[in-house]
Amino acid sequence: MKILNFSADTLCLLTIIAIVFPFLSFLMIILGKQYKKSTISIFNISISFISSLLIFSNLWNGEVVHQQVEWFSVGSYVFSAGFLLNNLSVLMMVLVSGISLLVHVYSTAYMKGDENIHKYWAYLGLFCFSMMALVVADSLLLIYMFWELVGFSSFLLIGFWFTKAAASQAAKKAFIMNRIGDIGFLTGMMIIYAQFGTFDIVKLFGNGGLIDSASIVDGMWISASAEMSVIWLSLAGFAFFMGTMAKSAQFPLHTWLPDAMEGPTSVSSLIHAATMVAAGVFLLGRIYPLFDSLVLNIITVIGIFTAFMGATIALTQNDIKRILAYSTISQLGFMVAAMGIGAYGESIFHLATHAFFKCLLFLAAGAVIHQLHYHKKQHNLEFDHQDIRLMGGLRKQMPIAFITMSIAAAALAGFPFTSGFLSKDAILITSFEWAEGYNGFKKLVPYIFMLTSWITVFYIARLIFRVFFGKPRYEGIKEASSVMNRVLVVLAFCSLFLLFSFNPFSFDGSWILHGFVSSGVKRFSVLHVIIPEIVTITSIVIVFMAYRIYGSGATKTFPENGLIYRFSNRAWYFDTAYRFLFVRPVESISRFSYKFDKLIVDGLVNLLAVGVDILSGISDWFDRNIIDGFVNGISSFARKTGDFTRQFQSGKLQHYLVTMLTVVIAIFILTYFI
Amino acid sequence: MIPLSHFMLISAVLFCIGLYAVLTKRNAIQVLIGIEFMINAAILNFVAFGQFDKIKGGGQMFALFAIVLAAAGVAVALAIILNVYKHFRTIDPAKIDTLKD
Repeated sequence: MKILNFSADTLCLLTIIAIVFPFLSFLMIILGKQYKKSTISIFNISISFISSLLIFSNLWNGEVVHQQVEWFSVGSYVFSAGFLLNNLSVLMMVLVSGISLLVHVYSTAYMKGDENIHKYWAYLGLFCFSMMALVVADSLLLIYMFWELVGFSSFLLIGFWFTKAAASQAAKKAFIMNRIGDIGFLTGMMIIYAQFGTFDIVKLFGNGGLIDSASIVDGMWISASAEMSVIWLSLAGFAFFMGTMAKSAQFPLHTWLPDAMEGPTSVSSLIHAATMVAAGVFLLGRIYPLFDSLVLNIITVIGIFTAFMGATIALTQNDIKRILAYSTISQLGFMVAAMGIGAYGESIFHLATHAFFKCLLFLAAGAVIHQLHYHKKQHNLEFDHQDIRLMGGLRKQMPIAFITMSIAAAALAGFPFTSGFLSKDAILITSFEWAEGYNGFKKLVPYIFMLTSWITVFYIARLIFRVFFGKPRYEGIKEASSVMNRVLVVLAFCSLFLLFSFNPFSFDGSWILHGFVSSGVKRFSVLHVIIPEIVTITSIVIVFMAYRIYGSGATKTFPENGLIYRFSNRAWYFDTAYRFLFVRPVESISRFSYKFDKLIVDGLVNLLAVGVDILSGISDWFDRNIIDGFVNGISSFARKTGDFTRQFQSGKLQHYLVTMLTVVIAIFILTYFI
Repeated sequence: MIPLSHFMLISAVLFCIGLYAVLTKRNAIQVLIGIEFMINAAILNFVAFGQFDKIKGGGQMFALFAIVLAAAGVAVALAIILNVYKHFRTIDPAKIDTLKD
C-alpha cells in the first residue's frame, strides 16, 4: 500500500514535520496574538496527520528506520537523540495525529464561544507535539522528557476550566498521581543506565541488544559492562511498570482518571481515553524485552484486577463521563494484562480499536452533554446535565449521536461486525490459549477476562438505555451541530470491522496483528470458534436484561442500595482510603510543619528581632542619656557658670559696689576669723 | 570727756548710713550724699583719734585735707552727674548699665 517511496532522510524530515507542526500552533498562540480561530491549529494537525500517514504507508511492515544525532555529552558519556520508526511507532503516530485531528475539528463546535479558546488550541498543540515525539523517540531519556510533557499538558487541559474548584483539584490530583509513576520511570531508567550505560532503545531492546545478551548466572544479572543482583532486573521492570500504572490509570494509581473528567469532554476523549492513557501501554510495548516472568506476572495480575475493578465501578456510576472513565480504566487493564500474558500484538491491536471507539463514546457523550447544557441555559433550568438518570429518550431527538454511540458501545461490548469484537476476542482467546500452559491462579485469568467483558456489556447497555431510551424528559433538544456529527460518523466508521480486518468474524485477518510478533502460544483452533460464540450469545442475553431494567418498558429494577452497590458506587472506596492513608497524614504533617514554621522558626526569628529591638533600645537610651547627657552636662555647666558670672557684669554701678563690698568683707572674714 | 568709743560708734553709724545710701538710692545725687556721709565718718575718725596727737595735730590736718578733697570730689562728681543726665536723660544709677560689655 505504498503510495510513494521515500528515502530514510525524507522520512526523518517528515517525522520532524509531524512532530513540530503541532508545537508551532502552541508557539504561535502563546507568543503571538490571541488567535481565537481554529484554522491554524487544524492546519497544523492536518499536516502532522498527512505526514504520519505518508510515513505509515512507507514503513508499515517495512524496514525499521533508526536515525540519531549526538545530543550532548557529559564527560565521556555521549547521549544521542533520534527517531526510531518501527511498526509500533508509526501505528501510534497515525492513531495520535488522526484522533487529534478529529478532536480538533470536533472542538471547533464543542468549545465555541469559550473565552480562553486560544489557550485551548495552544494546550492541544503542546499535547499533540509531546505525544507524537513520545512515540517516535529512540532514547529512554527523550521518552521520559516527553512523558513528563504529556503529563503536564494533560494537567493544563484537565484544569482548563480552572475557575471551577473541582477542575483545578482534579488537575492537581492527576499531576501528583502521575508524578508517583514518573518516579518509577526515573528509577527504572537509572537502573538501566547503571547496568548498560546507554538509554538507546535500539541498543537496549533491539534484536540481540544489550538486554538479550545480558545473562543471568547464579542470581547475578550480567551485562557487558556491569553486573548486579538479579533482583534489580525485576525492580527495573516493576519501576517502568509504575510509570505505566500512573499514565494508564492502573490500580493502585487509577483514581486520577475519573476526576480528570472535569476537563472539557473533547479533552477527555483525546487524552484520557484514546491517546495519552495509551502511552503507558505503549511504553510497555517499547521496553517489552526487559520484563522477566515475575514482572510479567505482576503486570498480568494488576491489569486483570484493574479491568475487573473498573468494570464493576462503572456499573453503578451515574455521571455519563465517569462511566466512560471507569470503562477506560477497565479497558486499559485489558491491554496491560494482555501485555502481561505475552499477547503483545493483541494488546496493541486493542489499543488501536479502543482509541477509536472510546474516543467516539466520549465525543458522542460530549454532544449529548453539550446539547443538554445548551437546553439548560436556554430554559434556565437547574439540573446536572451529566447525570444519566436525568436523561432519557434522546434517541429521537439526537439520532446521529444515538446511532454512532450505539456502534461504539457495541464495539466496547464486543459485538460482531465491530472493531472491538476483533480485538477483545483476540485478547480473550489468547488468554485462554496462554492459560492452557499453566496451573493455579493463571487458569483463572481468562475467566476473569470473560466475566469482566460481560460486566462491560451490562454497564454500557445501561448507559445507552438510560440516555437514549425511555420517555423524552426535555422538549426541544436538537441534534448537535453538523461539525460534531460528521466527526462522530467518521469515528463510527472507524469503530467498525472494516478498517481493521476484512473478515468481521476472525481477528486472524487483522493487518495490525500481522504487524507484530506473534505471542507464540500454542493455537487451539477450537477456541477460536467456541469463545466468540459463547461471549456474543451471553452478551446478547445481558443486553436484553439491561433493556428490561433500564429500557423503555422497564419491568425490573436494579437494586440501588445495599453493601455491594455502595461499594461499587463509591469506587471501591479507593479515594476514601487514599484520603485516609495519604492525604490526611500529609495534610497533618504539613499542618504540623506549618505550625512548626509559624511557632518555632518564626518565633525564633521574632525573638531575635525582639532581642535586637531591646538591645538597640538600650544603646539608644545609653547614647541619649549617658553620652549625650555627658556632653550636654558639660555644656550646661559651662552655660550655668557663664550665667552665674555674668550676673556680676550687670553694668550697674551699685551692683559692682555690692560685689566689691562682699569681696572685701569676705577677705576680711577670711583673714581674721578663719 | 567724751570717750573714744562714742566717736567710733557715731562714725560707724554714719559710715553704714552712707554705705546704705550708696548701695540702694535710685538717685545719683543721693548716692553722692551717701559718699559724703562715708567721707565724713572717716573725717570724724581722724578728728577723734587726733586727741592722741595733740602736739603735731596730725588728725586735724588730715581732716582738713580730706574736707578739701571731698569738696573737690563733690564738684567733679556733680559735673559728671550733670553730664550723665545730659547723656542718659536720667540719673538713676540702676538704669545706666552701659558699663557692661
